[in-house]
Amino acid sequence: MLSVKGLKASVGDEPILKGLDLEVKPGEVHAIMGPNGSGKSTFAHVLSGREGYEVTGGSAELDGEDLFELEPEERARLGLFLAFQYPVELPGVNNMYFLKAALNAIRKSRGEEELDAVSFMRLMKEKLKILHLDDSLLKRPVNFGFSGGEKKRNEIFQMALLEPKLAILDETDSGLDIDALRIVADGVNALRSPERSMIVVTHYQRLLDYIQPDHVHVLAKGRIIRSGGKELALELEEKGYGWIVEGEAA
Amino acid sequence: MNAAVHQRTGQADAAEAFAGWLQGLGGNGDQNSAGGIDWLESEREQAAARVRTQLVPTNKSEGWRYTGLRKLIEQGFVNVDEPVTALTPDDIGEFLIPELDAHRVVLVNGRFSDALSSLGELPKGVRIGSLRDLLESDPASVKGVLTRIAGEGRHVFASLNTAAIDDGLVLQLDRGAIAERPIEVIHLSIGMDEPRVAQPRNLLSLGDGAQAQVIERYVSLGDALYCTNSVLEIALGRDAVLKHTRIQQESRNAFHITGLYLSQEANCRYAGTNIGLGGTWARTDLVTRFAGEHAECDLKGLYLAGDQQLIDYHMDVRHALPNCASRETFKGILYGKGRAVFDGLVYVARDAQKTDAEMSNRNLILSPNAEVDTKPQLEIYADDVKCSHGTTVGQIEPEMLFYLRSRGIAASLARRMLCLGFAGEIIDALGPESLRDYVAEQVGQRLEQAPLE
Ligand SMILES: Nc1ncnc2c1ncn2[C@@H]1O[C@H](COP(=O)(O)OP(=O)(O)OP(=O)(O)O)[C@@H](O)[C@H]1O
Ligand SMILES: [Mg+2]
Repeated sequence: MLSVKGLKASVGDEPILKGLDLEVKPGEVHAIMGPNGSGKSTFAHVLSGREGYEVTGGSAELDGEDLFELEPEERARLGLFLAFQYPVELPGVNNMYFLKAALNAIRKSRGEEELDAVSFMRLMKEKLKILHLDDSLLKRPVNFGFSGGEKKRNEIFQMALLEPKLAILDETDSGLDIDALRIVADGVNALRSPERSMIVVTHYQRLLDYIQPDHVHVLAKGRIIRSGGKELALELEEKGYGWIVEGEAA
Repeated sequence: MNAAVHQRTGQADAAEAFAGWLQGLGGNGDQNSAGGIDWLESEREQAAARVRTQLVPTNKSEGWRYTGLRKLIEQGFVNVDEPVTALTPDDIGEFLIPELDAHRVVLVNGRFSDALSSLGELPKGVRIGSLRDLLESDPASVKGVLTRIAGEGRHVFASLNTAAIDDGLVLQLDRGAIAERPIEVIHLSIGMDEPRVAQPRNLLSLGDGAQAQVIERYVSLGDALYCTNSVLEIALGRDAVLKHTRIQQESRNAFHITGLYLSQEANCRYAGTNIGLGGTWARTDLVTRFAGEHAECDLKGLYLAGDQQLIDYHMDVRHALPNCASRETFKGILYGKGRAVFDGLVYVARDAQKTDAEMSNRNLILSPNAEVDTKPQLEIYADDVKCSHGTTVGQIEPEMLFYLRSRGIAASLARRMLCLGFAGEIIDALGPESLRDYVAEQVGQRLEQAPLE
């Protein structure tokens, strides 16, 4: 599904990703953990095509397509989805209108018909329910004035609606209270399927109790320096990153 | 030295050409409707005299620095003479707002058209008619109002309009009268063989406690080239409420000048929204005078300018009395080689304590070749007031654009959505819903055609 090889990227003259390798197979959930500033969000942004980063080496393919040849919207239509660490507020842009535009763009690229108003509403209601979100959210501007938790839930709601092939969840758990965390995790789990893969970026083992990963990676200083099963997350929770990062330096 | 001389000569030429043109326009004395009404004839003569003496604005004149007149002068406009009578109600179908339930007035090239208007049943105390007819039947009813609110006006174009007073719309609401349905005024312009200028003179007067909503729209048939130089005088009595929407959606070849002069008695409320979308050169002056305390003036605006377009809003709000409030909230979207001017002056005299004045002008610039000149001015001589102003000129936020694109939305649509979101503050405040939808649609259409690179 996703194949990243030797990925190097920088911001300005500052190299951030320094040779990152990652293979994600269909249906797998990979957790990425790592210290603040290690490049986790940068990795997510570079994959989804955000401006401001320069890819200086390596490759990233989604189902054999070179992501770096594609515009951000083309990557999304190919089935890539990023749940933002900091969802962006769009004052004045109606949420419903936005969701419809996104869904129709993606459906169209899959060769599907645009949804009529009734089916669209039905679909929205169904997905809102999964995330325990209120209908009134649809009438508001996108993320505008949403609480931190609402913003995060809104990201997963969009993911449920757009049904991507590969979803990257960047710290979707941070800022959620205990109940909201469970709701979001249940929402994510409901979307797990043999065809859909996920990369879950988190600082906390807690989320991984709910969303059980197949693989856990440690990203530090722009590279994946350790990979293992879900027991690696437990070990990190207990000992922190120091022991691996230092071991790596030695 | 040489350059300076040369420049002066150049300007003198322009001034001369312009003065000749103005006098031609102001000078059709005998064939208009003011004949025989002494006070009005005297006003017209004084205005004509001012046209001869008032300085022709140049790019050095206050208020005209960014709004050159050359393009206007070059057209050699001549006065409209014959009224256009060939149109039938079917011809204006394309201009109607779907589902808008309103009393409709239509003026064609500045002349009131009975045939095209459909006033329906007007509520008690509400009168709508042509200035021409009224000057014939009951000139006393506009005496003391017509020409008095505008006074000498802000510049030579107002004098020009006064010198040529002939026809226009008169809307009068008696004391306490309430018009529940909106009154829609369609100013339709049709191109003639020669470039013409129409100079409608419009008057809205609301008696004490009267309430109305007026929707004015400036539209053109095809891509007609012409000039409209209109003056609108509005008199609001005590406690009166006027909701006023003006939509300038003229052809890309049209020249548009409006002077709107407001006189507000105590406790009245004026809420005006100006939507500027069309024309190649459009200048609007909004001038407010408070004649009583606790009056409110709320001026909103949204303008879009692209290639070959200049849209200019000048505001002049004068607080001479205490306890009045004024708001100016204007937003602009500039693309291609579009240009806009926002010049807002709020003057608070020494006695105007407890004035509440707020001015904001925010602009979104979508291309490096677009330009806006924004100049908010607060002149405050009272010490116990609440006044603020702010202007911004910015671009679309890259994070916002990326967020939309990351959801599969094409860059061009994403930009359009963000522009509409930006304009939403102005559009969403419009009512009724049919009007709001219509304006959103018009704005959306223009953005769709705009090169949003
Ligand atoms: N646009 C930018 N300009 C300058 N530096 C940047 C930019 N984006 C990222 N960086 C730097 O790159 C490094 C990695 O940042 P990134 O946001 O990817 O970290 P992270 O692993 O997601 O951290 P956190 O756990 O705190 O979210 C940091 O040192 C950050 O300051
Ligand atoms: Mg991060």
